Amino acid sequence: MTGKRHRGSLLKIVVLTAALFAMIIISFIGSKVGSGIVGSEPVSFLDVEAPKYHPAPERPFSNLPITNTMITAWISTAVLFGLFFIGTRNMKLVPTGLQNFLELIVEAAANFIEDPAGEKHGRWFFPVCTTIFLFVVANAWVSLIPGFETISIHGEPLLRSANTDLNIPAALAVVSFCFVEYWGFKAKGISYLKTFFHFGPLWQALKQIFTGNIKAGAGGLLNGVVAIFAGILEILSHLIRMMSFTFRLFGNMTAGMILVMIMLFLVPWVLPTIFYGMEAFFGFVQAMIFGGLTLGFACAAVMEEE
Amino acid sequence: MEGFLGLTLPSFIGQLINFLILLGLLTFFGYKPIRKMLDERSNRIKQSMEQAEATKREYEQAQVEVEKQISKARDEGQSIIGKAAQGGERAKEEARQEARKEAQAIVERTRAEIERERDKIVDELRKEFVDTAILAAERVISETLDKGKHRRLIEKTLEESATLRRN
Repeated sequence: MTGKRHRGSLLKIVVLTAALFAMIIISFIGSKVGSGIVGSEPVSFLDVEAPKYHPAPERPFSNLPITNTMITAWISTAVLFGLFFIGTRNMKLVPTGLQNFLELIVEAAANFIEDPAGEKHGRWFFPVCTTIFLFVVANAWVSLIPGFETISIHGEPLLRSANTDLNIPAALAVVSFCFVEYWGFKAKGISYLKTFFHFGPLWQALKQIFTGNIKAGAGGLLNGVVAIFAGILEILSHLIRMMSFTFRLFGNMTAGMILVMIMLFLVPWVLPTIFYGMEAFFGFVQAMIFGGLTLGFACAAVMEEE
Repeated sequence: MEGFLGLTLPSFIGQLINFLILLGLLTFFGYKPIRKMLDERSNRIKQSMEQAEATKREYEQAQVEVEKQISKARDEGQSIIGKAAQGGERAKEEARQEARKEAQAIVERTRAEIERERDKIVDELRKEFVDTAILAAERVISETLDKGKHRRLIEKTLEESATLRRN
């Protein structure tokens, strides 16, 4: 009895796999590249246009200064705001449905942030880090909805993944940078500047030399120079962070978008689904990295040096 | 208009503002109420845990109290039973003694009665005997002796003999 059912389900799997393979092969042969190899004409409904990639976001409305990535960013914003707005109406002590889901996200984020940052600083970092994460992940996942990059107005795609517009990662990177420096000053006051301009040891060494203690002063001189150099490195690292933030997200998301477009062009059926799944995962990972690195830098900025 | 890889200042500023608006909206409509709710819930849970703990402690205390009272009541009952038994014993003893006394009294009274009766009879007998003796003596000694003197003499003699016998 069970053996029979087992054989039945096995048969189903075999048939399904065969069907999927057939769809891959048919769609490949029917598409532009495949038909060229075989030497036949491409089938009309498999003839996907070759991807055209422009790094700059397109403007679907030629008379309006609105890019398609802006529209996507607004959609992400609206989705996030809508979820939180609806989910926090009539909050109940015993959560259900959407409230429960949002509480899950918020609590997970709070635990993730307060674990390294501690209760007090965690409360500072929480809104920015969480919003960065949610915005990036929303941008990535919203752009997986069918219609993105394929629906066109005036020959330009109406919607395009917001993370593939360099302006958005750059804006997030600047926000991250500004908040990290702000938290640094908030936690340490004006002495936070010592992270970047550390003249103290050199000054000490010079004073020792001029007061006659030449041996100790000469030793301290090197330390002083090293401290100043470390400060310069710190400045550079804080600035370069913004670059790496920007291009990490932009590069990953753009590569993903191009990959999906190329797969759609080569094998229009079945195979792009796998890349969709991967893109969903990478979107989450990139959001995690962006939020997590902001958290890490923030922790480093407020950390007390011994 | 188009900068490096599409980086343009207006677009950048627009996205910056967009993100800051989102940050503000989510903070005030999302994170704050949710975190408040989470804190409230954790407080509530903590409170109810403490309450449960307190109730448990109270219950245990009450149980101890009840146990104590039960044992106290048992002791009291025991002592009451003991006292009652003692009282009964005493009452029985008293009743027995009373009965004995009563019996004694009846016996005594009866004896006294009998004695009195006997004395009366003895007296009467004696009187009769005296009379008879006098009569006899009268007959024997005729009328030599004064009758009153004679009687007194005999009576005295009898009296002596009577007291002797009675003792």
